[in-house]
Amino acid sequence: MTYDWPTLLPLIFAGLMGLAILIYVILDGFDLGIGILFAAADDHEQDTMIAAIGPFWDANETWLVLAVGLLLVAFPLAHGTILSALYIPVFVLLVGLILRGVAFDFRAKVPAGSKHRWNRIFFLGSAVASLAQGYMLGVYVLGLDVGLGGIAFGALVALCLSAAYAAMGSAWLIYKTEGELQKKAVRWLRTALVLAALGMVAVSLATPFASPRIFDKWFLFPEILYLSPLPILSALLFVWLWRQTFHLPKPNDRHALTPFLTLAAIFALGFAGLAWSFYPFVVPDKLTIWQAASAPESLIVILVGVVVVLPIIIFYSFYAYRVFGGKATDLTYD
Amino acid sequence: MDPLILSRIQFGANISFHILFPAITIALGWVLLFFKLRYNRTGDSAWMRAYFTWVKVFALSFAMGVVSGVTMSFQFGTNWPGYMETVGNIAGPLLAYEILTAFFLEAAFLGIMLFGFRRVSNRIHTLATVLVAGGTTVSAFWIIALNSWMQTPAGFEMRDGKAHAVDWWAIVFNPSMPYRLVHMLLASGLTVSFLIAGLSALRYLTGDRSESMWKALRTGVFTAAILIPIQIFAGDQHGLNTLEHQPQKIAAMEANWNTGPNVPLVLFALPDEAARENKFEVAIPDGASLVLRHSTSGVVPGLNDYPGNHPPVFPVFWGFRIMVGTGILMLVVSWSAAFFLKRRHSLPRPLALLMVPMTISGWVATLAGWYTTEIGRQPWLVTGVLRTADAVGPVAGSHVALTLAIYLVLYLALLIAYLGVLVHLALKAAKDGDASPLPGVMNAAMSQPAAGE
Repeated sequence: MTYDWPTLLPLIFAGLMGLAILIYVILDGFDLGIGILFAAADDHEQDTMIAAIGPFWDANETWLVLAVGLLLVAFPLAHGTILSALYIPVFVLLVGLILRGVAFDFRAKVPAGSKHRWNRIFFLGSAVASLAQGYMLGVYVLGLDVGLGGIAFGALVALCLSAAYAAMGSAWLIYKTEGELQKKAVRWLRTALVLAALGMVAVSLATPFASPRIFDKWFLFPEILYLSPLPILSALLFVWLWRQTFHLPKPNDRHALTPFLTLAAIFALGFAGLAWSFYPFVVPDKLTIWQAASAPESLIVILVGVVVVLPIIIFYSFYAYRVFGGKATDLTYD
Repeated sequence: MDPLILSRIQFGANISFHILFPAITIALGWVLLFFKLRYNRTGDSAWMRAYFTWVKVFALSFAMGVVSGVTMSFQFGTNWPGYMETVGNIAGPLLAYEILTAFFLEAAFLGIMLFGFRRVSNRIHTLATVLVAGGTTVSAFWIIALNSWMQTPAGFEMRDGKAHAVDWWAIVFNPSMPYRLVHMLLASGLTVSFLIAGLSALRYLTGDRSESMWKALRTGVFTAAILIPIQIFAGDQHGLNTLEHQPQKIAAMEANWNTGPNVPLVLFALPDEAARENKFEVAIPDGASLVLRHSTSGVVPGLNDYPGNHPPVFPVFWGFRIMVGTGILMLVVSWSAAFFLKRRHSLPRPLALLMVPMTISGWVATLAGWYTTEIGRQPWLVTGVLRTADAVGPVAGSHVALTLAIYLVLYLALLIAYLGVLVHLALKAAKDGDASPLPGVMNAAMSQPAAGE
């Protein structure tokens, strides 16, 4: 492998896209999860839960646009292949995202009587969007297999990813709320964690057994030695976090952010595992990142923009999270 | 069912629904900045009340724009894979810059703009408003650059059936881009000024005479009255640019079947493409030659020069007429309203009643204009480079029909809900009048109190 621009650029963009997807899954994960938890909360709690995500969700969702956008502009062939194979699930995802996005705003602005309806739509949209994302992950892991087995596996991953999002949502609530709701969030986290762990195990086992190529990447000596920390560390974090749920919330609200950060770390580890499995393919076993990439002279133009803007986005995201830090208060336009 | 026509209708439905909201947010961001700066200058809390009423509309429109925009970014792949495969090297960077600027400026600062008045200093809050308004405008710049490139491509070469960039300056500032950008930004300004004027007229009709109502009403009416003549001039210039670069579109807009001098300006007709003639034509003799060539003997291109290579005539002809007709109505209404507000300091009831449905006149004109220019580009997706029929994906017609049907129901329901909320917000603001509580005042401990309270 030579290190010239035509080789490096697709690699850089694959890395950037991976980063955007990971940030999306973590950030929109917690607000989708809070949408799913809406079903288990009462009126007043729902208002607090919305206040906990209000200033963030617009920016969170834009990471999806960036991730899909990078796929579209840097790997146009893959964008077409993947999205036309996943036509219906993508559509379901979009309907879910549309419904929850608008419900979020409508519920605060409609007359009090119809607020309930938009609350239900918010839950429904969040659940549908999470399920669709999980289903697509499952089908993608099996190499875009949409046979009966693929569908069943997709459904399993759909449930587990939704549970993982619910876990993220609970962890965010532990950080952003106090009192009864915080205690409730701890119980939600405990339940959701079990399903999330199940999903991670399912994906980790299915990926190598669905593809001999991926099997070889993981289980040959000596790779297995360097790679083993990945699943072991994830498992340890899961178990540790699950035990923590019996001791939260702690006096003076210490460690309130710890569950969220732990889950983010688990997501990152799982994502690194997937990335290792699929590299260098962007469409599993069909198109590599080099085959699917745009022309280098176009990628370099995009790279200039990304290099300038991405650090600023990250810097300002931290700023916004700091401005709206602390416990969630009633959300008002002020 | 034919996946091509269904995919086209679906894309048209998606993008029509989408454009309604950027058409509002692009200009509303600047109007909010105006309210904010007036408040900073005068300390008059009515400006801040106007700000808080309209920032809610901005938030809702922005959310609608985000969710329908996400749909757009997926549609390229799900229905039109041939598009990015052929011109991805050009469209990719332009879309990337659109996403990066939209992302960086709008979404990051929207939270502070909407919910941060109490949490950051007034200066930072004003800055956030500037950045959000700037972000919407910059992202419009990139999208218009891409759309214009599809209309009048430049600065590229074809290698192995794929477009490759040669000159980025020529790609971005392609021949129709400056005209289309100005036309669209003004359209957004008019959409927002009629939206504000119309909903303020509704408040006026319910008896609201509060300061914040007057301030919003005057802002809306005077902005509209100033922008509409500029827009008519800019539209004319845009038409002359189209005549130069896309004559077949002009031929369809004028329903002119044969190239020649002394072409009449058709006011009304039912163009019949099979018979290649206009039915029930009402026309001004030599009018089109005069408008387009500034001479009665000017030669106007006709559809006979473009056999099998011109857009469908009926929708382009009528799209153009609806846009121009709405524009003329806007001129009459905004100038009359401006006259009464300036001279009589009041609004006659019939005029206020007319202004209420005119709330959405900007939408009507914007959509009609986009239909004219986009259908007018057919049968090409990228003029001379890629035919629409060659870009459509392998998805089954039945799948597209299913998703299209659900999108249409969803969009209709959301549109009704959106308009319902606008009316609800206006009536609520009318009921509260100048007594509506200002956020900074309610919670003194955390606030920077609004001056003048």
